[in-house]
Amino acid sequence: MRLLAIVPALDEARSLGPLLASMRAALPDAELCVVDDGSADDTAGVAARAGATVLRLPVNLGIGGAVQAGYKLALERGVDVAVQIDGDGQHDPAQVALLLAPLARGEADLVVGSRFLAAGGFRSTVVRRAGIRYLCWFLRLRCGVRVTDPTSGFRAAGRRAIALFARAYPSDYPEPESLAVATRSHLTLCEVPVTMRERAHGASSITPLRTLYYLVKVTVALLFLPRREPRPGAAEVHP
Amino acid sequence: MSEHAILPPGVQLLALAVLALVLAWVIRLIRTQRLSVRDSLTSLLTTLAALVVTAFPALLAAGARLVGVQVPSNAIFGAGLVYLAVNLLSVTIANSGNAERTRRLAQECALLRAELDRLKARGDAGRPSSPP
Repeated sequence: MRLLAIVPALDEARSLGPLLASMRAALPDAELCVVDDGSADDTAGVAARAGATVLRLPVNLGIGGAVQAGYKLALERGVDVAVQIDGDGQHDPAQVALLLAPLARGEADLVVGSRFLAAGGFRSTVVRRAGIRYLCWFLRLRCGVRVTDPTSGFRAAGRRAIALFARAYPSDYPEPESLAVATRSHLTLCEVPVTMRERAHGASSITPLRTLYYLVKVTVALLFLPRREPRPGAAEVHP
Repeated sequence: MSEHAILPPGVQLLALAVLALVLAWVIRLIRTQRLSVRDSLTSLLTTLAALVVTAFPALLAAGARLVGVQVPSNAIFGAGLVYLAVNLLSVTIANSGNAERTRRLAQECALLRAELDRLKARGDAGRPSSPP
């Protein structure tokens, strides 16, 4: 299985070095791709010195645009699997194998690492957990998506998901919406338990006011999803 | 109902002058290529419509009667709000389109730069010594 790891990073020069080293150890055959979303620090330099392919976005696009750039590279490279790992060090590269298993067995097109299926680890604050609960409920109600951790950015995408996300990936807090988009495009989702760590350096981009915006934005986006796509098979999705 | 009740001649003249100025301004922006025809089409058409209605207030009165607005001047406020909303929305639509284009261009740019890095590295590796 050819593998590309997508690491979206914004001003993560401090945590990126150790992360890339442990990724190299855990995934010796994978191409590492750091997407520098317009960092002011040496994020791109650190990544390049660590031997990663660096996508330097000339302007800040936000996490959605950054991750999509990675999926575009994955599509260009023609890899079998693209793994998303956050650049802030909260995801453990050693657990990527857990994400890959269902893909290798052909059971899913998109595998989401859920911190709520496993015991222990960092589970975020009470307020955010309530928000996540709400998102789970609404995703199930609106799209029939059954997940426990819809905001997780620790995921593995197979070929069909790569092709879809390279073409259509939401912007602005994209994770829950992308699950809905994937389901609407008839991809199979599955979740595996993972443990997450609290970020090593810097502050999370999500403040209380932004949490509210997050919930409202995702709700509206889910309410007005684009038209359902026809089932693949008629020369669609698969390149 | 007489037309004078809706628009006194003085006000009508002033409104016509203002609208004509706006129209002339938009046209000037187009001619000096600071505004694309595509983006200005809603402004042009809605301003033109406002000009016609101001020139012939009877149209407004008839329109107001048709929809059942009691006071024709209220119809002016209503039409004005619609005018603003339509133009604002068209600007927002253009802006969303631009954001999407920016996103694609930035991604394409990053991919090309990565490819360039790769080719450069390959070229350097193939060379016997480092360039002067």
